[in-house]
Amino acid sequence: MNLSFIVIDDTDLDHFIAKKMINHADKQFEVKPFYEAQSALDYIKSEGALIKSDTNILVLLDIYMPIMNGYQFLDAFEALDPDIQSKYYIVALTSSHEPADMNRMSIYKSVKALLSKPLLAEDLSAIIMRMITEKEMDML
Amino acid sequence: MAEKIKILYLDDEIDNLTGFKASFRLDYQIFTAVNVPAAMDILNDHPDIKIIFCDQRMPGKTGVEFFEEIRTTFPAPIRILITAYTDIESVIGAINRGNIFRFIKKPWDPADVISAIEEANKFYHTNSILTIKNEELRKAYAELDKFAYSVSHDIRGPLAGILGAINVAREIYDINEMKEMLFLMEKSLKKLDTYILSMHDYYSLQRGELRLAEVDFNQIARELKDIYRVVSDTSDIGFVINVDQREPFRSDIVPLMLILNNLLSNAFKYQNKTTEDKRVELTMLVHRGQLHIEVKDTGIGILGNHINEIFNLFYRASSQEAGSGFGLYNVKSALLKLNGHIEVNSALNKGTTFKVSIPTK
Repeated sequence: MNLSFIVIDDTDLDHFIAKKMINHADKQFEVKPFYEAQSALDYIKSEGALIKSDTNILVLLDIYMPIMNGYQFLDAFEALDPDIQSKYYIVALTSSHEPADMNRMSIYKSVKALLSKPLLAEDLSAIIMRMITEKEMDML
Repeated sequence: MAEKIKILYLDDEIDNLTGFKASFRLDYQIFTAVNVPAAMDILNDHPDIKIIFCDQRMPGKTGVEFFEEIRTTFPAPIRILITAYTDIESVIGAINRGNIFRFIKKPWDPADVISAIEEANKFYHTNSILTIKNEELRKAYAELDKFAYSVSHDIRGPLAGILGAINVAREIYDINEMKEMLFLMEKSLKKLDTYILSMHDYYSLQRGELRLAEVDFNQIARELKDIYRVVSDTSDIGFVINVDQREPFRSDIVPLMLILNNLLSNAFKYQNKTTEDKRVELTMLVHRGQLHIEVKDTGIGILGNHINEIFNLFYRASSQEAGSGFGLYNVKSALLKLNGHIEVNSALNKGTTFKVSIPTK
């Protein structure tokens, strides 16, 4: 299975940290950074159908962003073709411990996990392991 | 002299209406209606009617039924029923349900009517003050909710970033990479600092009284020129200030500078990086007791569907640069204090112009 990453966040420092953490897991992983949720969505719309069947993409999605926030991104994402959606494994990131965010996030089927910032190496490794296991179960 | 209290009297007997008007028109402004539709028309045309008198016995509808009906559509006026003693049973229920403030027996005694009007007027004012206070409280609570949400993200966000960076630093051995990260950490801390400073502006605008003094706009222009020289030079953005002040102007310099600084820093911040000839132009003109400020930039502009929201607390219409979500909200609060107003015109990728006018104090 091929694994690559998309990071959606409006903060430079958080991109830097995410890239470091991903490279810490494996230097070979490809990371595509997006500073605006809309451009990530446009990318997924146009590229989603072209992804090879053995490729999966882990998306680290910040919730609190201007213009299009994480929720708005997810609303649009969940309206996409299910075949495209299934290629992406979305992990939401938040800097708050607001119960309101936790509750609101739980209604999105496409969100597989909710992590709080700062992103930690062990959390990311655990998520990657979980994703691989889930995908392999799907294959059987 | 205070404006006369506006009163509506509804009765199906014209003689009663005429008598009522004749007795009280010197002290109060009396409107009369001979039936319910006429009363409704008057209430629609005069939303500032404070007291309604109504006769209980009318063909078609009783006074109690009329009051019950208008209770939701016209909740503000105080309702007083005029009735003969024989109707008393039917009235007690209405009073208990809160539809009626008082009742006056028929035929009425002028002293009773006047005392009822004065009491009703006091009650009306207490009620409207309560309504205003309630509305203010509701707004304050809504803002507090927004605040709590923003604080947990806008303050914790940069802090979480810094913590994450410290984690990462343990595994960075390359000095250049470390420097790059320190630069990004600094950027996050500056953002946090801006947020906290703006929060202070926000607070001082909500509280505090005006301190009036004469304002010299040529002096302000020199100060602003100094403040923005660095960003103007380093980002290659032309900065022009035009001043025309031929009369004195009194205002509070603190909110005034806050308005100017917020508009100007936005104008510099939201420039289009690809535009050849980047400019910010500030005009300050004092004319006939009015200050007119215009801040014009060649920046990225604001999308039409965001333009109505840019003055909202914590609203950010761009991710190009780190905004705190306070700036324009604080501008609006400052203008509220100075009785000024603002309008904005923007074309996407062409630029934005803010026009402010403020009267002298």
